[in-house]
Amino acid sequence: MAIVLFLLKRLVGMVVILIIVSFLVFSLLALSPGSVVATLLGTQPSTPQVVAAIKAQYHLNDPFLVQYWHWLTSAVHGDLGRSIQSGEAVTSVIASHLPVTLELAAYTLVLVVVVGIPVGMAAGIGRGRLFDRSVSGATIVGMGAPGFALGILLIYVFGVGLGWFPVYGAGSSQAIDRVYHLTLPAVALATGLVALIVRQTRAAVMDVMEQDYITFARTRGVGRARVMLGYALRNTALPVVTAAGLLLIVAISGTVLVETVFSLPGAGQLMVQAIEAKNVPVVQGLAFFVAVLVVAVNLLVDAAALMIDPRTRAGVRG
Amino acid sequence: MNTEEGAARDLATHLHPDDAGDRSGAALLHVERLNVAVGPVRRARPLVRDVSFDVHRGQALGIVGESGSGKSLTARAVVGLLPAGLHASGSVTFDGHQLIDAERRTWRALRGSRVSLLLQDPFTMLNPLQTAGAHLAESLPRGGHHSRSRQRDEIARRLGEVGLAAEVAEQYPFQLSGGMRQRVALAVALARDPELLIADEPTTALDVTTQAEVLELLQSIRRSRGMSLILITHDLRVAFSVCDRVQVMYAGSVLEQSPTAALAADPAHPYSLGLLLADPPVTHYVAELTAIPGSVPQADTVADTCAFAARCSWAQPECAAARPPLAPVGPNRTSACLRLGEIHPELRAALSHLDQPAAPPPALTVGDPIAAITELRKTFHTSRLAGRARRTTALDGVSLQIGEGESVGLVGETGSGKTTIARALLGLITPDAGRIDLAGIDISNYRRLDRRQRRQARRIVQAVFQDPYTSLNPALSIGTTLREVLDLRGDVTDSRHETADLLGLVGLPASYAQRRPVALSGGERQRVAIARAIALRPRLLICDEPVAALDVSAQAQVLELLRDIHRRYNTSMLFITHDLSVVRQMADRIIVLYHGQVVETGDTATVLDSPNHPYTRRLINAIPSAQAPSGHAPDRSEP
Amino acid sequence: MTSDVRSDQAEGAAIDHLQRVPVVAVICGLVLLAVLVCVVAGGWLAPQDPSAQNPLLSAMAPGHGHLLGTDELGRDVLSRLLSGARSSVVGPLVVAAGCLLIGATLGMAGAYFGGVVDTAVNRLADMVYALPALLIAIVVLGVVGGGYWITVAVLLLLSLPYEIRLCRSAAMVEVRLPYVDAARTIGISAWRIIFRHVLPNILPTVVATFLLDFVGALVGFAALSYLGLGVPPSSPSWGTTLAEGQSLITQNPWLSIAPAVLIIVTASSATLLGDWGHELLAHAGTQR
Repeated sequence: MAIVLFLLKRLVGMVVILIIVSFLVFSLLALSPGSVVATLLGTQPSTPQVVAAIKAQYHLNDPFLVQYWHWLTSAVHGDLGRSIQSGEAVTSVIASHLPVTLELAAYTLVLVVVVGIPVGMAAGIGRGRLFDRSVSGATIVGMGAPGFALGILLIYVFGVGLGWFPVYGAGSSQAIDRVYHLTLPAVALATGLVALIVRQTRAAVMDVMEQDYITFARTRGVGRARVMLGYALRNTALPVVTAAGLLLIVAISGTVLVETVFSLPGAGQLMVQAIEAKNVPVVQGLAFFVAVLVVAVNLLVDAAALMIDPRTRAGVRG
Repeated sequence: MNTEEGAARDLATHLHPDDAGDRSGAALLHVERLNVAVGPVRRARPLVRDVSFDVHRGQALGIVGESGSGKSLTARAVVGLLPAGLHASGSVTFDGHQLIDAERRTWRALRGSRVSLLLQDPFTMLNPLQTAGAHLAESLPRGGHHSRSRQRDEIARRLGEVGLAAEVAEQYPFQLSGGMRQRVALAVALARDPELLIADEPTTALDVTTQAEVLELLQSIRRSRGMSLILITHDLRVAFSVCDRVQVMYAGSVLEQSPTAALAADPAHPYSLGLLLADPPVTHYVAELTAIPGSVPQADTVADTCAFAARCSWAQPECAAARPPLAPVGPNRTSACLRLGEIHPELRAALSHLDQPAAPPPALTVGDPIAAITELRKTFHTSRLAGRARRTTALDGVSLQIGEGESVGLVGETGSGKTTIARALLGLITPDAGRIDLAGIDISNYRRLDRRQRRQARRIVQAVFQDPYTSLNPALSIGTTLREVLDLRGDVTDSRHETADLLGLVGLPASYAQRRPVALSGGERQRVAIARAIALRPRLLICDEPVAALDVSAQAQVLELLRDIHRRYNTSMLFITHDLSVVRQMADRIIVLYHGQVVETGDTATVLDSPNHPYTRRLINAIPSAQAPSGHAPDRSEP
Repeated sequence: MTSDVRSDQAEGAAIDHLQRVPVVAVICGLVLLAVLVCVVAGGWLAPQDPSAQNPLLSAMAPGHGHLLGTDELGRDVLSRLLSGARSSVVGPLVVAAGCLLIGATLGMAGAYFGGVVDTAVNRLADMVYALPALLIAIVVLGVVGGGYWITVAVLLLLSLPYEIRLCRSAAMVEVRLPYVDAARTIGISAWRIIFRHVLPNILPTVVATFLLDFVGALVGFAALSYLGLGVPPSSPSWGTTLAEGQSLITQNPWLSIAPAVLIIVTASSATLLGDWGHELLAHAGTQR
């Protein structure tokens, strides 16, 4: 019960943050160069009727804060306005671009978890050995390799050079074809993330393995499996889970660029195209969506930390 | 017998009349020429050299030494858990099993069920994510179909053995006090009923009264189980109170092995004597504290000489020529002193010096109060990761005065509020209520003072902090640290000369000005900290546990230096400590603090010889060698 | 009393450390030095005029006196990359230096003084820290627009929280140590304690974050200019060259590969140097 209450409190805090972010997102419209009407008109002909319709829709004759209020209430009801380019509802534009992004994200997540965590643990346990040192070196290059630059190299080597993988687009909606098309983008996106998670896991494992409780468990004959799972892995989990929030924000920016490099019709590419076209409603919608995502993931991380560590739970109980 | 060492000898002879348990068969643990070294084989630096000893069934061996003596590494080598990069050679046999480079299978059969290790820090020894009960459950003997309720009963029984209630099984380590954690750890270490328990400084991290309870518990369990024990400690008194035999280690070598009573009454090595003398008595004032000059060397620098020769007052050229081996010097006794035959009478004479009737403490001339604290209150709010803040009351209406030229001892354990008083006097925290007067300036709220008043207050009171390893800025040289203070004093023209003078005053060579703190030993650092504090010529010097973090042999040097400063400059002192023998030597008057309140105050002799408050009595009874083991009470007093 | 085992272990690690003469670190240092030389004298080192067009030699593979070939307008790729070093690296350097000055000062002051302002700054930093900085930069610069120095300012603002948090938490550890209490007791002024006592002890963190901030900003600048933001398309930079080269990857692969490699190598070198410098300095602080 106390935990639910704590999470509710967190939730309220996050709603406050969302309101602040939404205000900033809304202000984008006013901040973009040129008049708001001109921005919203886009390439449409500027007839009095259209202008009046836009003014009515966005309540442009009202004070700024009232405009914001109208925008926010419709946003909460799922109405983020209409795309200037296509006239479609922003939500449906975003929805049509989301699948590719989510598939890319899932693919990347699998790579990060399957490669990053085991490698990090192995390096941390065998600290100072050859494997650890080569992994540590590789993570530094991985952290310094931005997804878009790496993407170009992958395209050249595996696409143009070796011809193993397609270099552009998401392919058909068939699962195999999709995986085939998303492999290079996922690798480009995952490299930096894997490097991050390897470092975090390695540091956490090294820290845990040096703790007295590991030595104490070993001296009293607790089995090796139990020490590794019940002691090392569980105590490592907390810092690693906490790093998930960090991973997410790196991944979000990375997705935008990687989708652009590989011409994937996902939300990231939509963002870049919308920015180029000054399609402010779509940009606002995407930015708002990202803010909700960040807040939600942070909430999940908090909940996970509560589940893992009794100390945080006790803090909740007071 | 009127000294505590006397009492110890008495006690030891009384408790261990024949100095051993079952001596009939071979030793349970036989260690022969054990060496521990660090680094690659060819360039290995020795950390432990040629250590040999036996532990018989039911026997308790104390391994005593200062930091760097190799005592902990010896223990780790015995259980096969040396830190990475260190390796052991020689022979360690446990009941016939060779343990050096033993296979995992051998260890699996031994660890926990036959040999177990209890570590120093109860706060890090238990898995923070696991309840006390889970720790016990995973360690209880395997095999057999334990039903849930049977297991729960067994856990309750085990917790009962260490004096804890059954409900503790449901609690996580962070919900338990240090003493309770150490009890849980003990129950866990004993869960598979080992024949040998190695306890590495098991009480060092605990408060005095808790320490006494845990030692008693260890002793009674060992007795009732007939278990062997190796107790590793830096504190001779702790070893005396529990062990049949004591082995004294220094810089990686064994210097003496003796039955406890014999060592306490008649040390067979100058270093053993030095340790006995360096420990000030609680029973009476000693006019001059005997210190071992110099500081502990690194093990590899004394590989080819008597490790103690450089600090020994009896050393001759032959002592430095080669490393003297351990040689038998009496029944069940060995010593590594080459000259023992010649100097033994002198060692005895030096020890008897301690027993001589107490010299009267110097008469005190107390002037007007230099500092007066009235009804001081302070509550701390600590916020946690999640949830509400916690409030802890550190000071609950404390009043006290320190007279000009007076030395006041402030005694209490963790949470008594003694450090909070020091910090309030130094203006490092602002009290919630109450008043602090410093020679006429009201410094209750430092922030309200103007610049001039603040400077004045700083001139009046200075401090020496507990931990010399962190109280000096590691990035600055000693000279820079001292010059910074001298510049503030403003009247110094030749700061280089003045720095050298300051260093000389605390007994350090002027060349130390170029060094950084890392190049100094703990005792030397504390001298620098003292030099920094007295550079401003304060009228009141606050010493917050100034020797608690130091090796025994360095403690006496620092205490003697502080006494010297007190006498020479008539500096008032506020001496904060948990150690009653230290306060006996340092204070004219004692104030006992308990949970943020003054519970007893009076002149030193009166308070220590005829304490009034039950808590003061508990503190005095908790001094290891001065008490006889009795029944133990569960430790539930602290949160 | 420090446990024997711990101190001995530290010694063991020290020995281990001294054995590894960091050849890699030297190489990384040389790489960064070379990049800096290009920043200062890239235009002068360039074998040809980076903006001289030659429609006859459009998107040519290496050869004909063009070591890395030419771009779509027939300009020499090597010359463009050399002279592009300035706009690719100066901005990130300014961002990192700004972070160092403002962030470290705010972080240390926050840790030392505490109080309401510290709490507010810290909360704000926490909030911004949890947001995808690069994406915000893309949105703000894309929608609102802005030139090179606006980009520097935006990236600086977005990297500050990182610097503040790290410096603050490192300083927090130091501020609680008795040597700071001792300095206060003696009567040394607050700012003197901060800069003379705390700063040298958190130097490892400060140096490492400087280099990490630089890497973040370098990658950020490249990403922005890849998207056509931040750096005007006419002036050469690694990011813009990369973007131009992608569509011509079959004609002259070096047009895109060379800037990609440049970015990765520079960023990795700085990361490694930061990592190594942190360990070295942290080590020097405890053992000497």
